[in-house]
Amino acid sequence: MQIKSRGWKICIIIFVILTIVSFTPLIIPQGIYKPEILGIPYSLWSGFFITLALVILTFAGTRMHPGGEEKKTGK
Amino acid sequence: MKTWIWILGSLYVGLLILASLKSFKKGRSAEDFMFAGSNIGLLLGVLTYAAALFSTFTFLGMPDFFRLHGIGAWIFLALSDGVMVFFLVWFAYHIRKKVQTMGFKGVAGLIGNTYGNKYAGYVIFLSAFLFLIPYVGIQIQGIAIFMQAAFPNSLPAWAWAALIVAVMLVYSEIGGFKAIIFSDAIQALLLLTVIWIIGGVCLNHFGGIKSMFEAIKVVDEKLLSTPGPNGLLTPQFLIASMIAIVMIPVTQPQFTTRIIVMKNLKSTHYMAVSLGFFAILVILPTLFIGMYGAQQYSEATKDEFFANAFLYDQSGFVAALAVIGLIAAGLSTTNAQIFALGSELRGLLKGDEKKVMRITKIGIFFFSIIALAFSLKISDQIVLLARVSFAGTALMGPMILLGILSNKKVGLLMIPLSLLALVIFLLSLADVIPNHYFGLRLDLILFILLSFAALLSHLFSNK
Repeated sequence: MQIKSRGWKICIIIFVILTIVSFTPLIIPQGIYKPEILGIPYSLWSGFFITLALVILTFAGTRMHPGGEEKKTGK
Repeated sequence: MKTWIWILGSLYVGLLILASLKSFKKGRSAEDFMFAGSNIGLLLGVLTYAAALFSTFTFLGMPDFFRLHGIGAWIFLALSDGVMVFFLVWFAYHIRKKVQTMGFKGVAGLIGNTYGNKYAGYVIFLSAFLFLIPYVGIQIQGIAIFMQAAFPNSLPAWAWAALIVAVMLVYSEIGGFKAIIFSDAIQALLLLTVIWIIGGVCLNHFGGIKSMFEAIKVVDEKLLSTPGPNGLLTPQFLIASMIAIVMIPVTQPQFTTRIIVMKNLKSTHYMAVSLGFFAILVILPTLFIGMYGAQQYSEATKDEFFANAFLYDQSGFVAALAVIGLIAAGLSTTNAQIFALGSELRGLLKGDEKKVMRITKIGIFFFSIIALAFSLKISDQIVLLARVSFAGTALMGPMILLGILSNKKVGLLMIPLSLLALVIFLLSLADVIPNHYFGLRLDLILFILLSFAALLSHLFSNK
């Protein structure tokens, strides 16, 4: 549980960093579309990689999340 | 094209009828009708959540948004969805834990209970009602525009819109939430298939991704970066939009309900991951369609662009698929929202279950009629209207999160503050007051202030 909990915290830290970086000029420089990769403008390819990274991080998060089994009550 | 529409349309309607009948159970309980027995597995969970999330807003709105504002639309929706799915892992755990101890009859009812004050529930219901109705109107209008283009000189837009609402009411009445979930599954798969076929045709028009962006450079270089040709996609707009989108599972009851009816936490977590991949898969082809629109129809109105890009420029079969795909996209989101409003209403009602269910069903009918009326009045960009809907409901986020996360007795301060924020936001939408202060967007300011108030309320509340 301790390792899981630490893993989950690391996931949250990476998540916060990725989210903040996404809305800075590092990913969305205003009016700039270079460098391109295979003709794809900068904000699009970098935004695509960040999106993919967030989804992969979400998967890692599900493995590390410390939440235990739920009781079959309520609802 | 019309023959194909009849063939594919009949097949689609047949599947909807099958879903309704399969879900119909004599003597079912209100719980079964409203929450499908709260036992939804991973695959159905992903598809129903995706169908409720990706609607006319994605199918028509996103190509139009890419066409007008360029590649920054990816950051606006896809990246924000990436943030949302991670948040979903965290939020799902907490709300399911709360529901285990307090039960669930709609978000408004749950939050009313956590605050021990019925007005908390009323404020949430009011916000859902005010901001979901225009969103439902968008879906209905999107389908009506398309049907008119496919069958010119047949029925007026209002008649198409009324027909769509009638279909939705019939199958949700027969099969309840389970029918909605089954039909969502069909509709999500159909949406994904159709959007890729049309996206593929549009990409093929350019001869590849590289040539597509080369062509766009000739049209307008500003489409290749933020803030786009109209200067809309500024960092502030994108941040405020991201917050509004991340708050969707918290504040839009149709999504919260879908988190709660999942079989267990593990399925809910995997649903979040799959949803992230689904988002990338659905949004990517809308980029190709949008870029096609930017090159071919840069000066056209949204209706002209939709009719040309989705119907007239496609083969008969693909155009028919587009019509059916759009109906599927719009219908699934519409019924999810209307049904969620019904379950929110039910959560606020007390007394005999039979009477409560009767009022709920009348409420669902009433909401549909208002949405239908609204759909005939909308003239704004689809995506911007949807964004207003997200931002409006997001204002309830801090109050809901405080209610769900706090183990202490929650103070009542957030209830009047959230209502006040709602009124201020509505006044700005009506242009009675400005929507920017000190260089900041009003929705962002309100969200920051409400979050701060929720934090203070938590720190100073009693054990």
